Amino acid sequence: MGTKTKARLFKAGVAVVTAAATIAVVSGCTVQTKASTSSESGSSASLLLGADNGTPTFTRNFNPFSPSTRVGTHYMYEPLQVVNSIDGKATPFLATGDTFRDPKTVDYTIRSGVKWSDGKPFTPADVLFTFDLIKKNPSLDTLGEWQHIDSISSSRNTVTFHLKGADVPAATVIDQQIIVPKHIWSSVKNPLTWTNDNPVVTGPYVLGKFAPNEYTLSKNKNYWQADKVAAKTLVLPASNTQVDIVHKGYDWAYSYISDVKGTFVAADKQHNTYWFPPGGTIALYPNLTKAPFNNLDFRRGLSYALDRDKIADDAEQGYVKAAGQTGLLLPNQNSWLNTSIPDKGAIAQDTKKALASFEKAGYTQKGGKLVDASGKQLSLTITSPNGYTDWLRGLQALQTQLKAIGIDVTLNQPQPAAYTQALNAGNFDLALGSYGGTGSTFQDFNNLLNSSFATPIGTATSANFERFKDTKTDQLLTQLKSATTTDAQKQIVDQLQQTVYDQLPAIGLFYGGLWGLFSTKDFTNWPSASNPYAPPSTWTETALLILTSIKAAS
Amino acid sequence: MRYLLGKIALFVVTLWAAVTINFLLPRMMPGSPADAAIAKLSQNGPVTPAMRAAVEAQLGVPHGSLIAQYGQYLGQIVRLDFGTSYSYFPQKVSALVSGALPWTLVLVGTVTVIAFIVGTALGALAAWKRGSWVDTFATAGSQFASAFPYFWTALLLLFFLGYVAGRFPTSGAYGDSSTPNLSAGFIGEAIAHAGLPALTILITSLGGWIIGMRNTMVNTLGEDYVTFAEANGLHPRTVALRYAARNAILPNLTSFGLVLGGVVGGSLLVETVFQYPGVGLLLFHAVTNQDYPLMQALFLMITVSVLIANFIVDVLYGVLDPRTRR
Repeated sequence: MGTKTKARLFKAGVAVVTAAATIAVVSGCTVQTKASTSSESGSSASLLLGADNGTPTFTRNFNPFSPSTRVGTHYMYEPLQVVNSIDGKATPFLATGDTFRDPKTVDYTIRSGVKWSDGKPFTPADVLFTFDLIKKNPSLDTLGEWQHIDSISSSRNTVTFHLKGADVPAATVIDQQIIVPKHIWSSVKNPLTWTNDNPVVTGPYVLGKFAPNEYTLSKNKNYWQADKVAAKTLVLPASNTQVDIVHKGYDWAYSYISDVKGTFVAADKQHNTYWFPPGGTIALYPNLTKAPFNNLDFRRGLSYALDRDKIADDAEQGYVKAAGQTGLLLPNQNSWLNTSIPDKGAIAQDTKKALASFEKAGYTQKGGKLVDASGKQLSLTITSPNGYTDWLRGLQALQTQLKAIGIDVTLNQPQPAAYTQALNAGNFDLALGSYGGTGSTFQDFNNLLNSSFATPIGTATSANFERFKDTKTDQLLTQLKSATTTDAQKQIVDQLQQTVYDQLPAIGLFYGGLWGLFSTKDFTNWPSASNPYAPPSTWTETALLILTSIKAAS
Repeated sequence: MRYLLGKIALFVVTLWAAVTINFLLPRMMPGSPADAAIAKLSQNGPVTPAMRAAVEAQLGVPHGSLIAQYGQYLGQIVRLDFGTSYSYFPQKVSALVSGALPWTLVLVGTVTVIAFIVGTALGALAAWKRGSWVDTFATAGSQFASAFPYFWTALLLLFFLGYVAGRFPTSGAYGDSSTPNLSAGFIGEAIAHAGLPALTILITSLGGWIIGMRNTMVNTLGEDYVTFAEANGLHPRTVALRYAARNAILPNLTSFGLVLGGVVGGSLLVETVFQYPGVGLLLFHAVTNQDYPLMQALFLMITVSVLIANFIVDVLYGVLDPRTRR
């Protein structure tokens, strides 16, 4: 009797569980049909863009001055000129060009016939207003315009910038300033916190539909070069995981992706391509205020001990090349290269030379260990941000190479915020960091070498983290500021490269890549190694170059 | 009554301690919010000195001495005003939290209740039929399922059900072009999007309830009063449910109370894998971006609800078990 009822109870239990499971499965199936697939790019008119990642959803913020502005803002507003960070070339947008009267004064001719998306005309007054706005609110001056500008004047369609001193490279900075409409922004009370929900712009796109998981940008009918804009709609989803990028058929996405040939390209061999140009130099910063890092022979020893090709391969799966020691990004800045430096600045691994240099610095090999005069093994700590797995892989290769000649290497990996703090304050022995890639040779070298950034240890700086100090180099940088011709600039840049090559203020390891993924299914003429008219970056104004260059596929 | 007063006093002291630790902890982390923002920017490319200066001017650093900040902070808690978020600047913290909370409460809350009910029932059944294949299946199966880490189960489900079979949407809480509203269409979409995360939490948390219930109930079944009830010829179902299960469920009920208190913290790993816009993911973003205001509001919400759940369980225990009252 007992067993019978037990069996019944059991049957009832099983029935309930099975029923519950069935309901779950069935309801999963039935509601599934309602799931939208709107982000699939079907028609050639719309361009699916993997550029803006929600956290995890989008907050509506199209204020171009805000640090958390939506990426799409950069496809709507325009600067005076767009500077291609690959080769530093400027393309006129809201200005038709710039000319230096003398190294202290530059004239910008403002484009006429441009209209804001609400139909009002764009005038030089908008340019003056924008520069005035960022002067009154320094927190909006994200490019640091007023570190260079003394005053601004205008007559008709010319705006003249009077600079604080001879400062030819300042033009690159002025070029990139986003211009906002005076008739809208003059009544904004707090321009920093205003979210600018419906932006009035001059650029190729205006805001289309905004939803927390996806927004669209529509082609601006008033756009002054509308004939160059091929994509009618840009679709930006909030979720762009690596699996999405492989499966969803993006036209343009920016993402580091493992085994790009086996994943993204394999998904559509006929159309999917990629271009990973260098975007910065990943380098080892020695703390030049400390021994033994202030010893040039010691730095030479380190430099010769490294097999940079192996480090580059390990770090970025062979996507990028080992860095040369000229301070330039190659092949981007090939035209600036100092031809008297051997091998384009590449330094090959040479254990003999490394040991000889270390010996000059006071370290000798004993029993497989590199020891100082007191017999203590040389032990180095390298600081690198936690979670940057590619950098870590490179460092692990470096660690093995240094261990092979008897140096003990410890990796210190604080959280990114703590890493930034340590780097800025100079609280490190050796740190991994990146420099260069702005497109302006002056800015690249100035940030790396200018002694005015070399604050004492404990005081935060924003460049020259290794704290390099050299009066001759400072003079060269000042000269470069007033050199107006390319030939004159080249002569100085040659000497700066020689300094970086000889003094090793930072030991270049490999180039950090820019990860551009493209599909030629609906649009062609994407930037590439053979046509590097813009970097593949999605979050800067250089995207305007791409959006006005691509053509609809026939 | 004295028992209750004692519990209330303990609650107030723990609450104060939690609130104070919540204030101190984020400030002991190295690096400022500006450092975090710059670190994020530098992943995209070199950060120029000017960008650095602008970011610092925008975010600022906390003003005043630690004690002044503490006073300010206590005042804010009383007013439930947590200020502006750093990482979602210029959004208000309260808006961010109230945007994320409903998703977590509905998803994690519902699934936790379902897992508790189904798990406890299965556990009771397994104990009653101990040694049978039901027992083996439930015990071994749940141990197997709960041994898998959350994120691994989530990734497996995501890949096979989401991408390979295409049965479920793969990320987010609703369709790409929808805006949250209360229409039938939107609710359908939300249910479909909750499918995979719900399944993940269910699979990984069910096991705990089954094992917990089964083990206590097996003990209870050996008690004298159960043998006595059986000897008296009571209906086996009465013995199983009203004598054994009722006594065995107490420990499970306690942990259920605690788990419910933790529901507001969301399910970080599951929410991250499925990009589900809940509290867990919000907390993750807050911590990685050194977003003090947001972090404090979230930690406070989580600690307070766990404390309240604890308090209720304590009080309930006093009612259920007279021995704890002394």
